[in-house]
Amino acid sequence: MATICVFLCKCFGEIDHIIDFDLLREEVSKDPSVSLMSIVDSLCLETDTEKAVSQIKEIKADKVLIAACSTLSRGNLLADSLVEEGVERHRIGLVDIREGCAWIHSSDPEGATRKALDVIRMGIAALQHKEMSDDMSVTVNPSALIIGAGPAGLAAAISVAKMGYAVSILERSKAPGGMLRLISRCYPDNDDASDKMEPYIREVESNPLITLYPQSKIISFEGDTGNFTLRCTSQGKDHSIQSGVVIIAAGAKIFHPAGLYRYGEIKNVISQMELERQILNGSLKTEKTVFIQCVGARDSARPYCSTICCPISLKNAARIADDIPGGSVFILHRGIMTPGQTLEKYYRDTLSKGVQFICFEEDQPPQIMGNDYVESIEVYDAVTGITRTIEADLVVLSTPLVPNSDNARLAQILDVEVDRYGFFLEIYPMHPLETKRDGIFICGSARWPVASDQAILQGKAVAMKAVSYLRQDRLVASTLSRVPGPKLGHARVAPDACTGCGNCVAVCPFNACQLEKLEGRYISTVNLMKCKACGNCVSLCPNGSIQIPEHNYRMVSEMMHRAF
Amino acid sequence: MLEKTKDIARQILQEKKADGILGLMRGQWNIVQPHIFEEPAELDTLVFEPKWLLAKLAMRLLRSSPESYKLAVVCRGCDERALIELIKRNQIEKENIITIGIACNQEQAALCLCDRPYPTKLDAGEKVSGVDPFKDERVRGFLIGNDKERMEKWADVLKRCIKCYGCRNSCPICICEPCKLEDEIWVQRAVVPAEMIPFHLIRAFHLSDTCVACGACQEACPVNIPLLYLQFSMRKTLKEQYGYEAGLDPEMKPPVLSDAFEEPNRDREDPAWINSMRERDGV
Amino acid sequence: MNRPKILIFACKWCGLIGADAAGKKRSSLPPLFRVIPVECAALVETDAIIRALADGIDGIAVLGCHIGGCRYNNANHTAIKRLELLHDLLDTTGIGSRRLLLCFGTAHENHQFEEIVKSFIDEVSSLPPVDPWMSPFGDTN
Repeated sequence: MATICVFLCKCFGEIDHIIDFDLLREEVSKDPSVSLMSIVDSLCLETDTEKAVSQIKEIKADKVLIAACSTLSRGNLLADSLVEEGVERHRIGLVDIREGCAWIHSSDPEGATRKALDVIRMGIAALQHKEMSDDMSVTVNPSALIIGAGPAGLAAAISVAKMGYAVSILERSKAPGGMLRLISRCYPDNDDASDKMEPYIREVESNPLITLYPQSKIISFEGDTGNFTLRCTSQGKDHSIQSGVVIIAAGAKIFHPAGLYRYGEIKNVISQMELERQILNGSLKTEKTVFIQCVGARDSARPYCSTICCPISLKNAARIADDIPGGSVFILHRGIMTPGQTLEKYYRDTLSKGVQFICFEEDQPPQIMGNDYVESIEVYDAVTGITRTIEADLVVLSTPLVPNSDNARLAQILDVEVDRYGFFLEIYPMHPLETKRDGIFICGSARWPVASDQAILQGKAVAMKAVSYLRQDRLVASTLSRVPGPKLGHARVAPDACTGCGNCVAVCPFNACQLEKLEGRYISTVNLMKCKACGNCVSLCPNGSIQIPEHNYRMVSEMMHRAF
Repeated sequence: MLEKTKDIARQILQEKKADGILGLMRGQWNIVQPHIFEEPAELDTLVFEPKWLLAKLAMRLLRSSPESYKLAVVCRGCDERALIELIKRNQIEKENIITIGIACNQEQAALCLCDRPYPTKLDAGEKVSGVDPFKDERVRGFLIGNDKERMEKWADVLKRCIKCYGCRNSCPICICEPCKLEDEIWVQRAVVPAEMIPFHLIRAFHLSDTCVACGACQEACPVNIPLLYLQFSMRKTLKEQYGYEAGLDPEMKPPVLSDAFEEPNRDREDPAWINSMRERDGV
Repeated sequence: MNRPKILIFACKWCGLIGADAAGKKRSSLPPLFRVIPVECAALVETDAIIRALADGIDGIAVLGCHIGGCRYNNANHTAIKRLELLHDLLDTTGIGSRRLLLCFGTAHENHQFEEIVKSFIDEVSSLPPVDPWMSPFGDTN
């Protein structure tokens, strides 16, 4: 049995004016495993801490129990101060006799004292039976791999490189810039799209830390956090890239409105991207423009709102109203999506240029009239209840961003998940931009439809997260908790007891367990880099062969026996 | 039904689709015992009665046989479900098992309170509809009635338990070694009668989503504790809330292993910070 | 009077923050409960809850974070489903699902901790004792 040093903190009267310390001293000393019991006025005082540490070292105690305030207030700090003086963290136990006993039961000092005694006994039992989990560390490859050279990917690359780390960017097409190469201006500032991307592209091409691989296709991927290896071909040549982290900035594509609103059947019904192209090459000719929103979005096939299509229509409608005076511009919508001050102002400015808005409902869509060419549109105005006929010579269909068709394939290769629509899945909302796998991040439209300003913001954000991994020489598994502070520990499998049922494999939220076949049986193994010690596996294991050593079931059972 | 099964079994052996047929044999002195029939001639002694579960035996046989050994099992509905559960849990490889499915008759279904007395792959016999356990008189008092009555009725039967472990040993799904019922942490050894709450509730709960309602536990119990009744309400919840029945679909995972968002059937309110009891009773 | 005995498993995020805040507020609760902090509600084994009932503990509460708020990627979902299944078994045997309280909320709602504990204590006090289930050889501590 381990020898335990118990320190009871009076907290300068906060605890001992309710709890009877004499009774505690008497009862706790009876426990044979307690080799020293010391009552102090306040453990946060440096003098008391130093004294405590010298006492611990003098009697060579195996473990230390501190009964003081709660872990969330100063308890963890007390433990840290002991650690600074050389006491190992796994030897220290903390119990709460202030918030949990003295303060919350202040009207019943006798009851509070009894509870404090029970709590201290539970703490001693916990210390006796607590075990230590395995840990591991890996060297980190101090470079990042970014998939996609759109605004998100470029912004991420530049931020990572600024902090001194090498970056490889894989781009599917011939040139960087993503969808901004195909449009004329960006909302809300109406800045020129190619001017916006130019400094990013120039930086990426000139910075020696950044390597851009255009015309690339990903073949395979392996490795774990800190050491990923990706095999791909770029411009026909096979090669592989090693990196410590991977950032997915693969973007999205625009939904093609084939078969909707007589697109393809009648002339002058075009998509928003075709409008952008006509603006770019100067071939736009229209005097009666009508935009239709939510084409292929917010319906049963794609119930989500793509958030960027309304501001894009406002941008183009305002431009047409400015450039072609005397014409008419209508936007037919099912609710204009312009959250925030900037976009609200954008909407009002567009309104002030004479653009007209008509709201329709999903079950009564506008009807396109005309034979070879669009002549007019009949729309039921849901606000006034009147069906109106609007003359039109150009109809622009505003369609949503949808996931790239090869997202599923890429997700399988990288072993990450996609959501029900096909966008890459992050752990929402607790770990933004992170996937289930440590070291693999997502940003930009690959994650959810965003416009370039948001994409750039996300790229920069994700660069910071990535660098927090890259800047460590060695990545220790117990630090990969994704929250402040280290993990509780790692799950451990007793291989002789494991039946190979696969429950832990199915239930682990981070896919840390895997079945291996050994001597004709299946046995579960835990990947320490992925395990976060949440305990799901432990609760679902039929015979307790997987446990978290710091919170094993023997410890819980002993704590429960002493609880009352 | 018996003759048809024998024909199917003979054909399997002749076409070498399996190396042996596991079934019940009426042997010397009219004693019925499980037997591996490897010669077509032996199949003359194949019988069905009494009901006896062969799934666990099949698992043990395959474990001690070479990897390529194929076993055909004559199985009732519950046996087939047990085999599927064992396959799901990686105790048996799917390629090593062939089933010869037989249906139970109505009397047997009533005896076992079974609502699915036939296998999915039925080779011989006619399906009968089975019974709804909640409508049966025998479960009155055990499953229906007020809390206090139920508590006393269960305590009354469970105190007869002599901790023979027959229920656990005969259950086709209980295959863990070591078993939590002997680990000295939740359940103490050498305490007889078994501590009612830990022994029986832990055993019953561990089977919550794998119990195939075969009744082997109940049949093995020497003091007639109706152990099968413990499982009915959990099986009902799984069926109604999640559309899940143990042993039906080899691909379907039990709901406790998957994320709630993936289950459209689930209409239970997840308990919010406010008292879960209030949510349920509207207090 | 030291019944009912309540054992609270509080997840170290929302659950423990709630318990802590109630302490900081100096709310006055009867000293009938003990708190065991766990990493996540997923770590609360059903076997532990069953054993607690056998040890004479009258009520068990599991406090976790609300759906979507779990730090461990929705580990609490499976915990909720599993514990609700235990409700069914407790009801079948007459021990009663009212002895197992499941509360999943946010740390900001910590003022509810006090209310929850008080009403749970009242609730469990009104339940018939589990004595018929205790074997004559002494399950109760």
